[in-house]
Amino acid sequence: MTALKPLGRAILFALIGFAIGATFSGVLVELAGRGDELRDLTISFGRFHIGTLPMNEPMIAGGYVFALLGWLFGIGVWGGWAREWFGASVKSFDQHGWKRYFGFSTDHKVIGVQYTVVMMVIFLLAGSLAMLMRLELSDSESNLLSSTDYNTVMGLHGIMMVAVAVAGLMGGLANYVIPLMIGADDVAFPRLNALSFWIVPPVAVLLLLTPFVSGFDTGWTAYPPLSAQGSTGNLLFLMAFASFGLSSILGGLNFIATIITMRAPGMIWSRMPIFVWSVFAASLISLTATQFVAYALLMVIFERVFGMHFFDGTIGGDAILFEHVFWFYSHPAVYVMILPAFGIELEILSHFARKPVFAYKWVVRAFFSIVGLSFLVWAHHLFTSGMSANLHGPFMILTELISIPTGVVFLAAIGTIWRGRLWLKTPMLFAMGVIANFLVGGLTGLYLADVVTDLNFQDTYFIVAHFHYTIVGGEIFAMMAAIYYWYPKITGRMYNEKLGRVHFIGMMVMYNVTFIPMFIVGANGMNRRVATYPEEFENLNLFITASALLLGLAFLPFVYKMVNSWIRGQRAGNNPWGARTLEWQTTSPPPEENFETTLVVFEDPYGYGDPDAKHFEFLPETGQGHAAQPVGGDD
Amino acid sequence: MINRDTVTVAVIWIIATVAIEIGFSYTDIFPAAASEEAVIVDDAFDFLTYIAIPVFTFVLVALGYSLIRFRGKPSADGGAPEDGPPVRIHHKWVWFWMVVSSALVITVIIHPGLTGLNEVEEAAAQEVDLVVEVTGVQWAWSFTYPDQNITGNELVLPLDSHVQFDITAVDVLHSFWIPAFRTKIDAVPGLTTEIHANITELGDYDDDVNFRVQCAELCGRDHAIMRSEVRVVERHEFNEWVLAQQN
Repeated sequence: MTALKPLGRAILFALIGFAIGATFSGVLVELAGRGDELRDLTISFGRFHIGTLPMNEPMIAGGYVFALLGWLFGIGVWGGWAREWFGASVKSFDQHGWKRYFGFSTDHKVIGVQYTVVMMVIFLLAGSLAMLMRLELSDSESNLLSSTDYNTVMGLHGIMMVAVAVAGLMGGLANYVIPLMIGADDVAFPRLNALSFWIVPPVAVLLLLTPFVSGFDTGWTAYPPLSAQGSTGNLLFLMAFASFGLSSILGGLNFIATIITMRAPGMIWSRMPIFVWSVFAASLISLTATQFVAYALLMVIFERVFGMHFFDGTIGGDAILFEHVFWFYSHPAVYVMILPAFGIELEILSHFARKPVFAYKWVVRAFFSIVGLSFLVWAHHLFTSGMSANLHGPFMILTELISIPTGVVFLAAIGTIWRGRLWLKTPMLFAMGVIANFLVGGLTGLYLADVVTDLNFQDTYFIVAHFHYTIVGGEIFAMMAAIYYWYPKITGRMYNEKLGRVHFIGMMVMYNVTFIPMFIVGANGMNRRVATYPEEFENLNLFITASALLLGLAFLPFVYKMVNSWIRGQRAGNNPWGARTLEWQTTSPPPEENFETTLVVFEDPYGYGDPDAKHFEFLPETGQGHAAQPVGGDD
Repeated sequence: MINRDTVTVAVIWIIATVAIEIGFSYTDIFPAAASEEAVIVDDAFDFLTYIAIPVFTFVLVALGYSLIRFRGKPSADGGAPEDGPPVRIHHKWVWFWMVVSSALVITVIIHPGLTGLNEVEEAAAQEVDLVVEVTGVQWAWSFTYPDQNITGNELVLPLDSHVQFDITAVDVLHSFWIPAFRTKIDAVPGLTTEIHANITELGDYDDDVNFRVQCAELCGRDHAIMRSEVRVVERHEFNEWVLAQQN
């Protein structure tokens, strides 16, 4: 039970924090004379009424802030970190064996596994919610969920999948492998890394509590005035989203600092693996754009808690303002999702085609062009919002320009596998799947960048199909590729190749069979975010539901084998793929300090077919460190 | 640069592209287009698809060909195949790709991008025959004909007329969408937005569900059923309907 002690302490501190914060806010509300006008809280679940609590939204908001602090201090921020701010000595919370995963570990490999596992659990949960939605949509009438419950399920599916897409590859797998790939012993700020992970559990708890306080009707986009008016579930959702933003900012900051300062001697920029570049580019976005969505959400929270009116058009506010600020983050955010996916795709294509990444420097340029342009395209989400029509042309042009650098990634992918020696292991299959799926996602984006076609498609199932093609077909497929690729490194054991292929084929086929008809039903005139719809669309929807359930089944071999192989799989060896990047040059799993001795890098890791190629060399034990004391680098 | 593999891919690509382009020209996934605006939108869709198909087939053919043709043989102990050729870049291909992809992007920016915007503007600039004021409220639409002095929940429109909709909302965001007209704009509290339809076809909801005003912006519990039937009728029928309403 000692392993769970930090968790128990964190929960206790969180509860105490909540009591303090709620009481404090409650007193303030009374002093402000607003105690009577705020309603009590009704607790229910679906049709079941559970009871009411004498608690208003300011008390919940204040309680949450203190509960979050209590949770973080309890889990180890105090004992392992904050004590030294007051001149006291800190304790190490690092434990050994499986116990590490339940506490405030600062090892990036432990945090990477914590993130990945938590995100996979959220992924499967959100996937189950999708199944629930598809069951509801199997016929045109309401059959399973009430309209409100459907909206809550839909919003939860949305935000949980967005969280997985943002943090699954970045927080999870990139956290594990980036320091290894650049030859570092950890990230630049290990404790900040732990903090960024431990913000996630309270976010998950808040989201899972929303159905008990009448849910939220707004979907993950939380547009006011609706989000400022609806049930208390909205408040929990807004606070969860804003907290998650904090975690994302800290993660981005850490990657940037790590990649700049922690590279091994000789690992100059042009020698970095392409995945490192993609994570660096994506981190620039999560560090600098996330604040905007946090502001927007905070302003809605202020509307609810303090009775302010930023977005209420009837008394001088502006609802469209929220949409601008929201998408100023949320469009770049899709590049936080897809850039690492491009990186991992090209990384795997190179190692499994036994050829260098084609046009490496062009790809890097493309990544940074995408970062730059990603900040200038947000208003294509607003073509039908009622914003000034003068903005339509410029945002259409800027959005269409982004397909040029994106095209470079396709060129690099095809150029890399062209005349290679393809080794069709599961990671390779998924990486090739990314090319095919993202192709559909990218090309259908054309109709949404074009203003006149978007006037029709906005808020229809065409959009639903499009963004699932980019985020699931692109990023989630890349995440699966990454999981299979690094599984032997992380666990030290091999996954089951046969079940891996079954998973890929099932997912690839059923994914396309599920989402292609959504383009058609959208073009036919079905709008999105609805539990009921005109009977005319029933046949296609029934077909989509049946396919979606089979798509859900395709994940069973994945879940079963991932757990099973971790315990029983064959030993994988250090480098089962014969890959040249640094993470494969140490043991599987790597020792706590990642590499036994220091190393020096001579050229990029893609020297396939060149007998003289030499990416790195281990140095005899000298006690010399990493890039902080570069020996071979020029920067 | 030109060898058996590139030639084979080029041939398969041309055949696949032609076949799919022809197939697409016989396909129509859209419901009836009942306004000039709808024709503009559908034409833009078709043009974009004709442009997108060769790109689609090129990437898929190159990918599929590589998948079949360039398989490596795993080493004797089941490890990685031997290395492929150490090709890092082919400058001519890269520049060729950059020029072609930029040309395609510039094409779609000009047409149907800017030309489409212009067409929609021109359609809206024609003389307006009828103004309808639309108000969205959770969860219903109401329609006011200011010149006819009618207010109700029914949207009846005369054929061959240019209708201007002035749209607003009372409580939260809604979105005014008539799929048969292919146009959509949000209803925003505190703001009046405007949208136009030059109506060219008769129709009503009972025959085609796309003759409906559908709320397209999530607006809470009953968002899905926030819709009104639309009826496009002959001019004289419309006049009769107006008279009947006024009495």
